Amino acid sequence: MRKVLAAVAVVSLLTACSSGTNSASSSGGDNQTLTIASVDQGSIEKVVDAFKAANPGVTINLSTSGADQYQQQIRTQLASGTAPDVMTVWPGNGNPGATYVIAKPGYLLDLSDQPWAGQLPDAFKKVAQYEGKTYNAVFGLNGIGAVYNDEALTKSGLTAPGTWTELLTFCKAAAGKGTPAFALGIQDNWVTQIALYALTATTVYGADKDFDTKLAAGQTTFAGSAWTTAMAKYQEMNTAGCFQKDPLGTSYESSQTLAATGKTLGIIQGNWIIGLLKGKNPNGKFTMKALPATDNAAEFVMPAAAGAGYGVNAKAKNSELALKFITFVMSPEGMKIFNEAQGSLPTLPDAGSAVDPGLAELSTFVKDNRTVPFMDQLWPNAKVQQTMLSGLQEVFSDQATAADVLKDMDTDYKAGS
Amino acid sequence: MTRTRTAPWWFALPALTLFAFVVLIPSARGVYYAFTDWDGLDPAFTLIGLDNFTAITDDPDALQAVWHTLLIAVAITVIQNGIGLLLALGVNSAIKSRNFLRVLLFAPAVVTPIVTAYLWRNLLGPDGAVNSLLALFCIAGKNWLGDPDLALWMIVLVVVWQFAGYSMVIFVAGLQSVPKEIYEAAAIDGSGPVRRFWSIVRPLLAPAITINLMLSIIGGIKLFDQVYALTGGGPGHATDTISTLIYKDAFTLGEFGYSIALAVVLTIIVAIASAGQYTVLSRNERAAS
Repeated sequence: MRKVLAAVAVVSLLTACSSGTNSASSSGGDNQTLTIASVDQGSIEKVVDAFKAANPGVTINLSTSGADQYQQQIRTQLASGTAPDVMTVWPGNGNPGATYVIAKPGYLLDLSDQPWAGQLPDAFKKVAQYEGKTYNAVFGLNGIGAVYNDEALTKSGLTAPGTWTELLTFCKAAAGKGTPAFALGIQDNWVTQIALYALTATTVYGADKDFDTKLAAGQTTFAGSAWTTAMAKYQEMNTAGCFQKDPLGTSYESSQTLAATGKTLGIIQGNWIIGLLKGKNPNGKFTMKALPATDNAAEFVMPAAAGAGYGVNAKAKNSELALKFITFVMSPEGMKIFNEAQGSLPTLPDAGSAVDPGLAELSTFVKDNRTVPFMDQLWPNAKVQQTMLSGLQEVFSDQATAADVLKDMDTDYKAGS
Repeated sequence: MTRTRTAPWWFALPALTLFAFVVLIPSARGVYYAFTDWDGLDPAFTLIGLDNFTAITDDPDALQAVWHTLLIAVAITVIQNGIGLLLALGVNSAIKSRNFLRVLLFAPAVVTPIVTAYLWRNLLGPDGAVNSLLALFCIAGKNWLGDPDLALWMIVLVVVWQFAGYSMVIFVAGLQSVPKEIYEAAAIDGSGPVRRFWSIVRPLLAPAITINLMLSIIGGIKLFDQVYALTGGGPGHATDTISTLIYKDAFTLGEFGYSIALAVVLTIIVAIASAGQYTVLSRNERAAS
């Protein structure tokens, strides 16, 4: 019996080896196999299916993972020469998987000669390029605002606030009814920045479109600018009862449940939350509006930025097919599939995808050029954002003041790249 | 005579070679990066000497993480083994259903730490089971994981909840090596249960104590999964340990050199703690036997 088992073990080992070498040689040899690594779980699959239908005979090895895990894995793969042909790349700078970070050591193929590269609106070019060359096929646009649960709002008898003063009154009234205005799940620290971005868009960038340039030139600082106003407003919202109790003990996941089931009237989040809320409450209707940060609605600005796009490995085993795939992603057809599945807006004007009716206000803001990219996309290193995220948790738990956090962000910003 | 003769050293060569290629050489190559500014991506990096290590001493987050790590390790070691020993004494007595109890108490240790951590993250949430239970008794719930003063202790609680049964099993094994005759003779001579424990059981339990303390202190110092899943090191940095900081510095900030330097520091702490503890405990063991 033992001999039999040993034999089985040996045979299975042998077959494991041989199948391994086979797959390696096939992905290297023929021109019909493409490897893709992506964070767009739930939408990339549809795009891949459509691409395969349009290109019979093509095999695609797709792997998807969460952003944290992906950033860790892709860096290891790039450094060791085992990265896939096509991969998710974030726009701009400021995170470990961002365009500047990966393009700088030469890991990305220059996509400047692709027809779509010239058509990208300027706001996206800035974050899709590194030193004037395009590396990132950004297909979708995400925005941040107050997302209301229409049914819960109707039931409460309240209306969505249109000014900062109305917002505070709204928060107090909503808390009084036992259904707080917004769910806030900042146990997951990345969530802390979302409401702050919604406030800085108007208070900082609404007043000064060139804030980023001035910050980079050292003419202004976080601690010495309207960022302090935005921080103060964030804290004022908290004391006014805008959020449910214990935001620091509430996870992102739990905050979705609160907003989806009407235990809060809404949530301050990116447009991607609408799909997630509908997943938890398929009959729900959710509408995104700009978060009022002043009393003059005409000066509101919404944070809106290119979402993660795709780059091509400079050492791709199959760069021809990789470029074909990128072209498909940026074609009206591919862009439509992607953005409809993600609930985002297309980056190219002629993509013609059906925008979720809940995002009408965001599309208007985009059309009217009343948006500003997510603040971190042009920061020189990943540390500024991480300092802000853990700093905001400290502000919410009284371990630090807003001024401390902004000062630390200045220090990290000045440390450069 | 021939039986006690030690085997020639080169018998160990195949195993040592394998160990060297799988553990020693990769580790040594890894340590090299602690002296560089490598970002984990760019093949062009420079040697910067001890800069990463001096940076650790200037980094309040790192110093705080070292403190948290030691606090967690000591707390887990004391509480987990205290409870484990009490449970072991309990299930080693002549009570009914003791086999069932042993299985039940050991069960949490079988589950992956990340799963128990996510479970407890929900139980300890603002509207979680713990607060709901307290509400039944009209006690105001707490923000268990969101309060920087409580969060660290919740991590200790979750680890102890999961692994007290594991310590218990090792203690039970030790207890079963205590000869019944000595124990009964002492009882007949009139010594009470406390005296019997202190003079008979404790010395004979010394090997089990050594193993348990070693395992829990090393596990405590290296703790990662539970911290990462329960609090992610937050709120702020209130529960960051050396391990979570290593992860964040490497994979979120891309500061691989610095993070490897931190890992080297962690290795040194583990080595000192376990060597020191082993020396003290084995001396006690010899004194006891």
